[in-house]
Amino acid sequence: MNEERTIKLDRLRYTKNAASSRLAILAILLDVLFFVSIYKSDVGSYYYNILIGASILYNLIFMLAAFLASEGVKNYKANYSWLLIALGVIQVVRIFIIPMQAHSATVTVGGAETVVMGSGQFIRVIIYLVASAACLFASAVINLQKSRALAQHVASLGEAKA
Amino acid sequence: MAELSLQHIDKIYDNNVQAVFDFNIDVKDGELIVLVGPSGCGKSTTLRMVAGLEDISNGKLFLDGRDITQTPAKDRDMAMVFQNYALYGHMTIYENMAFSLTLRKEDPNVIHKKVLAAAEILGLTSQLNKKPSQLSGGQRQRVAMGRSIVRNPKVFLFDEPLSNLDAKLRGATRREILLLHKRLSATMLYVTHDQTEALTLADRIVCMSMGHVQQIGTPLELYDSPNNLFVAGFIGLPPMNFFDVTFEDGKLKGKGFEVSLSDEEKYTLSDYNRQEITLGVRPEDIVEGGTLHVKVFSNENLGMNTLVHGHMGANGENRISAKLRGWTDYKNGDEAMVSFKRKHFFDKQTTNSIRKGER
Repeated sequence: MNEERTIKLDRLRYTKNAASSRLAILAILLDVLFFVSIYKSDVGSYYYNILIGASILYNLIFMLAAFLASEGVKNYKANYSWLLIALGVIQVVRIFIIPMQAHSATVTVGGAETVVMGSGQFIRVIIYLVASAACLFASAVINLQKSRALAQHVASLGEAKA
Repeated sequence: MAELSLQHIDKIYDNNVQAVFDFNIDVKDGELIVLVGPSGCGKSTTLRMVAGLEDISNGKLFLDGRDITQTPAKDRDMAMVFQNYALYGHMTIYENMAFSLTLRKEDPNVIHKKVLAAAEILGLTSQLNKKPSQLSGGQRQRVAMGRSIVRNPKVFLFDEPLSNLDAKLRGATRREILLLHKRLSATMLYVTHDQTEALTLADRIVCMSMGHVQQIGTPLELYDSPNNLFVAGFIGLPPMNFFDVTFEDGKLKGKGFEVSLSDEEKYTLSDYNRQEITLGVRPEDIVEGGTLHVKVFSNENLGMNTLVHGHMGANGENRISAKLRGWTDYKNGDEAMVSFKRKHFFDKQTTNSIRKGER
């Protein structure tokens, strides 16, 4: 059993952290689904404001940062886990910005008052954001565990050699 | 245990071109067989038929007594190493070596053990995290071998694995293959057109020409007792000198020269009295001192030996190359006196070697 665990740890020296990396990429895909789902064409000029501009800019930064982190965690770089956690926290915070505001807002289009974001759409975008955040947290945690285990294993190999 | 038996193997392509004719050999367990011959002689085709990459037109192929003639390549339990390494550029060395086992869905821990063991054998442990593009040609070829080793196949097949390497690396990798063979004691089939590789690596050599097996034997047998003119000319560097001579009055008479024979040689040629035969003499069997006049036109000092090229005979009809011991300094036009230490005789019609009591 102990030998099996040692081999499993030793495998980390030569294999990539594919699980963490894939989870980070999945988080990007879920974020894409989120931002293509929030806009609706029949809500007049509701979304034409600075917040949406900032949101679009943030999406670009998020994708870049998450991709860089996915490459970092692929090689067991522990520090990228903190970046992923930060991105995950921001994804959760984002629920309370555009989706919440749009869900409670109404606009008058063609004389009729309508809700900017209906409940169905609201639930969908919340799921995307929560799932994206969950992927980022999972990726970070897996990477932290594996990178620490690998560092300890490499250190023990060094001691064994010495 | 991995005994391979090729019985009456033919390869005929759809356009009726026959590449291999009646190939027969029984390869013993742990034997390293080298298939050697010039380009287009059918050696690679034979290897590919053994691997299952080419269909066998006629004949049977047995592995440990089991008929595998129609068995698909993936089920033959053989691993092939190619000339161009065939490594995946986007994978690390570790991943390349583990790939075939991963495809077979073997336990990752078992794969890990096998890859590390193979890397240890081949001295690749420190390279496992690199990509193939970061390695030298020799190292890449070792990775290709490693990929075969991890599979622990019954038979290793090598298709000119050293052809892409420079001369120095070729020598080093050749020695590694030899050590690997000794270490694994595996049955190996090795194709090359390089006779040096054949002579240094093989337990037995199969010399091929135009799809036909010319001779199967140990390196020494092929060098010392070639079956025919082709084998005599192909094995040995520089190649054997050939002269048209007539056996007459106990002597060999060529154009402008005469060679005396020992009693044993006269007996060997006793059936060829007053007939034209081909005399073969290896350059290294020519020694300074004797009665044969050679008009030198080139003197290549190689350090331990000197390669002397010249013409023999009154009108310089017979071109001759001699590998003389030590350092000689013949100039163009100088005359050297030489004699033949050892001679080979070949039937003019059949091109077969003339041996005692054979005709």
